[in-house]
Amino acid sequence: MADYDPAAHYDRVTRAWALLMGDDLHYGYFEDPAEPVATASDRLTSLMIEHADLAPGLRVLDVGCGSGGPASRLVAEHDVDLLGITTSAVGVDTARGRFAALDLSGRFEQRDGTDTGLPDASFDRVWVLEASHLMPDREALIREAARVLAPGGRLVLCDIIRRREIGFLELRERREEFAVLRAAFGAARMDPLSAYAEHAARHGLTVDVETDISAETRPTFAAWRANAERHHDAVVDLIGADELDVFVRSLAILEGLWDDKTLGYGIFSARRAG
Amino acid sequence: MASPRIAAENVIREFLGRIKKDPASPLDAPLYADGVGLDSLETAELSALLEDEFGSDPFSSADELPQTLAEVLDHYGAAVEAEAV
Repeated sequence: MADYDPAAHYDRVTRAWALLMGDDLHYGYFEDPAEPVATASDRLTSLMIEHADLAPGLRVLDVGCGSGGPASRLVAEHDVDLLGITTSAVGVDTARGRFAALDLSGRFEQRDGTDTGLPDASFDRVWVLEASHLMPDREALIREAARVLAPGGRLVLCDIIRRREIGFLELRERREEFAVLRAAFGAARMDPLSAYAEHAARHGLTVDVETDISAETRPTFAAWRANAERHHDAVVDLIGADELDVFVRSLAILEGLWDDKTLGYGIFSARRAG
Repeated sequence: MASPRIAAENVIREFLGRIKKDPASPLDAPLYADGVGLDSLETAELSALLEDEFGSDPFSSADELPQTLAEVLDHYGAAVEAEAV
């Protein structure tokens, strides 16, 4: 029996997800529902960059950096001093390899975004792109971001959000839908956008952007569905037909949750005084 | 024949093992967060499983969700009944 190789598994999964979701591996901000997902996801990164107000030399902490995709753009376009962190050892290695291949300067370390161990006030920017929903404690993430931000520093974050309360009986009735989402994307917990703002204020940050972009991100699912059809055979070769089926089923579920205003997407930024 | 309480405990512990939580969790362990660690979806799944097996469950029938394994099992009979079997 072949030994399990985490690096090879991560590589196959990442390549499959890149075919399905686009190279940026995150949602898109669509100005035209028919535009390519690469254009839309690039625009979402650009929106984050705009709110981050970057400049050369700024010390940027990329929390939940994945395999270093958006991070490469921060360094290449804005010449920031970047540290990317993720809890995945394979993600760290992959990001380091990406940066080496692109001849970019950046550091990647295996750390927990809710308890980084990094010094107080050691970063000018904390960047969290679509990673917070995978962390069990959003307040701990915000508290930690506030701690490592230097006076005058900024936190920018975008992610899937919860737009209304889901009662226990409703959750139980819809448990199969949520189980499909868990199978496709892993265990996740979404909070309202207002919760992020409340946590920020509680930990000494002044919120200056708190925007629901659910409508602009909704076309992402149709784009991913089109990719699943376009790249069907290649994705099946990488992760198998069952995994692809779960992913495709999840898209209709997410569209329903966007449309009934259960879930959505938000972007948020806050500044530390100083 | 096992009492409903013992049968429910067996079902719960098998469920915990299946979802990679500690199947040997003590009865007074909190169900959520730092205890057994059930999230809301897992709690909903357990609720539905218990209703399917026993016709009722303490999660959907009470005003407040049970907080420990013991409180879940109390729905299926008092502890003294289990000791008497």
